[in-house]
Amino acid sequence: MQMAPMILTLPWGVALIVMPVVGALACYLFRRAAKPLGLMTVTVTALSAAGLALRTTRADSYHHAVGGWGAPLGIELYADGLSVLMLVATAIVACAISFYAARFFDDKEQARFWPLWLLLLTAMNALFLSRDLFNMYVALELTGLAAVALTALTGSQDALSGAIRYLLATMLGSLAYLLGVVFIYHGYGTLDLAMLGQLVESNPVTWLALGLVSAGLALKTALFPLHFWLPPAHASATPPVSAALSALVVKTAFYVLLRFWLEIFPSEGAAPAQLFGLLGCAAVFWGGVQALRARRLKLLIAYSTVMQIGYLFIAFPLGILLAWHGALYLLLSHALAKAAMFLAAGNVLYYGGHDRIADLDHVAQRLPLTVAAFALAGVSIMGLPPSGGFVAKWLLIQASLDTGQWWWTVPILAGSLVAAAYVFKVVGFAFTQAEAPQEAKLVPVSMQWTALVLAVAAIALGLIAPWTLTWLDVGDPFSGAVSR
Amino acid sequence: MNALLPYTLTGVGLFCLGLHALLTHPHLLRKILAVNVMGSGVFLILVALAKRSDSPVPDPVPQALVITGIVVAVAATALALNLLLGLAASSGKAELAEDLDE
Amino acid sequence: METLTELQWIFDVLTGCGLLWLAWSCLSSRNLHRAVVQFVSFGLLMSLAWVRLEAPDIALAEAAIGAGLTGALLMASLARLPLSGSADIRALKSAERIAGARLLQLLRNSLLFAFALFIIYAIFFLPPEFSGLREEVATEIENAGVRNPVTAVLLNFRGYDTFLELLVLLGALFGVRIVGMQPVRTSMTSEPVLNILASLLTPILILVAAYLLWIGTDGAGGAFQAGAVLGAGGVLLLLAGWRPARALMASPFRSLVLLGPLAFVFVAVLPLLSGRALLQYPPDSAGTLIVLLEIAATLSIGLTLCALFLNVSADDGEQP
Repeated sequence: MQMAPMILTLPWGVALIVMPVVGALACYLFRRAAKPLGLMTVTVTALSAAGLALRTTRADSYHHAVGGWGAPLGIELYADGLSVLMLVATAIVACAISFYAARFFDDKEQARFWPLWLLLLTAMNALFLSRDLFNMYVALELTGLAAVALTALTGSQDALSGAIRYLLATMLGSLAYLLGVVFIYHGYGTLDLAMLGQLVESNPVTWLALGLVSAGLALKTALFPLHFWLPPAHASATPPVSAALSALVVKTAFYVLLRFWLEIFPSEGAAPAQLFGLLGCAAVFWGGVQALRARRLKLLIAYSTVMQIGYLFIAFPLGILLAWHGALYLLLSHALAKAAMFLAAGNVLYYGGHDRIADLDHVAQRLPLTVAAFALAGVSIMGLPPSGGFVAKWLLIQASLDTGQWWWTVPILAGSLVAAAYVFKVVGFAFTQAEAPQEAKLVPVSMQWTALVLAVAAIALGLIAPWTLTWLDVGDPFSGAVSR
Repeated sequence: MNALLPYTLTGVGLFCLGLHALLTHPHLLRKILAVNVMGSGVFLILVALAKRSDSPVPDPVPQALVITGIVVAVAATALALNLLLGLAASSGKAELAEDLDE
Repeated sequence: METLTELQWIFDVLTGCGLLWLAWSCLSSRNLHRAVVQFVSFGLLMSLAWVRLEAPDIALAEAAIGAGLTGALLMASLARLPLSGSADIRALKSAERIAGARLLQLLRNSLLFAFALFIIYAIFFLPPEFSGLREEVATEIENAGVRNPVTAVLLNFRGYDTFLELLVLLGALFGVRIVGMQPVRTSMTSEPVLNILASLLTPILILVAAYLLWIGTDGAGGAFQAGAVLGAGGVLLLLAGWRPARALMASPFRSLVLLGPLAFVFVAVLPLLSGRALLQYPPDSAGTLIVLLEIAATLSIGLTLCALFLNVSADDGEQP
């Protein structure tokens, strides 16, 4: 077919960055048409993600030298299977959140929401397509700034407080990362990650640089004990924003760390990997306990994010391809499931005006779709078959048995039990009657359906695992870490 | 090693001073000042280390990166100050509450 | 000339010590007003350091943005904060009397000190002969369209980073909210010296901005420095009490502010249509394109910085 090769050559990667920017500028300029412009932009961006995905399955990885200058002088856009999956997941979650937000906010908030949201989307897409260290710094800063501004959208005291704590934490993380990049540049003379992978040697400069980069990114991805900023920020932000923060924004820093690790760390030995694994376990434990103790729904979901991020770091000491597949699968299914949970919480909030777990008044009867969404998302978070979460944990357990480090299965299994406990707690209260009846506001149907669709997608991710995993390996992103 | 050493060490000192102040002082304006000082430290180290070789032409890439960094820092500072003012207006204090309830 | 080099070295050491002392004094000062003033002085001394490090572009940017505009933002915010700021130093001292807190503090300080030592240790392992990306830039500079290598890097080789950076500024503008109902001092407008100064300096600042923009292609200067000076002119006008007409605040302001990013998008996407890469300038017209982009960027940056200042200093829904 003549059309197919032409579609493949279109610059999809560029579109993924340019489309949301143009949308953001348009939404700022034409305030009154912000909602339709925003929805259109997100849809077009999602189509570009699909186009890029199609291209990488047919051809190999995607390269684009911006300005015509290749690395190391210029900046190159690059997408392999890992980038494409992140981009597609971002596109799906972004679409759902956008349609939800279109009904959730009032008109004044819409005008403020769309430009920032589209700018955030641009930043994340630019980050997933980047391989230049300083370019990633600027993209991380743009992501952080837009995310902070969105956190503060409602202007409530809690939101402002959470936002400023988030801003300071993210700035500290970025500066630590930047200092690490400074030493990498002066040690090796390049800012391109792929070139760096070939040049790197083990010496104090490298240790310092990688230590700084890891510390900065660990802070930005809320790894225990540097997670302190996440619960207040994610719990006090408005639900569509919380969904974006937990599902997508925290993962951006993890993505950068993963890229560093896969290109450079393998020459560094096992000690940092074990440290990451231990901190991951601590995160699973701490996040789980705090989630059980939480009395508000959004805070519970935020602590659940802290817990799930801990799982991602357990893949580091395992180090084989299976482990990376497991971690990535967890990342993807968590993105879908966590967004679904926050949107469901948003429905509960919209309906009753509060999110106190103990006072969920017959929500199961009034908002069946919402409770179903929360329950299905919970299935993935718990790791029950056939969800994406189950596939992820299965792969991780398999990896720990294969490498002989069977002790890592303990936090994985224990974490699932704790997750089951807090999911059932919420669902249980959803069937009860509150002490004092509350006024109910009708929840728009589109809001209920977007939450459910995301939750179903998290389950479906488990069913399409074989195809997704082959896709993940396009361009061999994990070759660096596996050849040990 | 001409202008290299004094400014590099200064940069390291600024980064650590800023970090100490960020962790110690509860007042948010001081934290914002601290982050700016840390940023200046990082930029100093980046450019000062580039003078290791005695070439007459300085390396332009670190300088371009620092200019970008300065602009990013002012944008973040402006947003931080705005959030700070909002928080102070609604809570009457310019510090973060230490307890996270529930 | 040995004495000259030694003198330079002493100067550098003194400047470095001065920077460290100013930073320490600023961060531990009891009075917040004094802290902010010291921060501005710190920024100005930094400009001197940049000159010594042969980075005039950074010196200009630091003076205008780092010391000037950041200082203005800080002072304007300080005027609207409820407390004087000395309260937290007193609270700090009383907390220190608890033994456990002192131990923790000691631990933290020693960790920081060890960290600083490790950085210094690592520095000695850096390769002594280092050219970075200087040679790559030197090879391609003729095709870049401008002679100032820093401008070439910012607007051509790594123009994509500059584009994202403009978006960061825009993000801050999108994110700032109309804040609180504190009354702002209107007596500022009746200051005769300030009025005269503003009317004299503003046209000069506009000229300086245009000059910096133009000279930036060959010597030190460029869009960011020019934009910052333009923003400074705007801040001066705002301080003298000038407020733009309501009609100007909506669409015209928004269109102008978006000019920089829009110009970038346009120039970036155009080459794609003729089969080239994103942001790839044709070598003959590279210079012209860069100047056009810089003009658009200067306007955007100046307006954005101005608006950010207005937002921090004003009190009634004047945000566009």
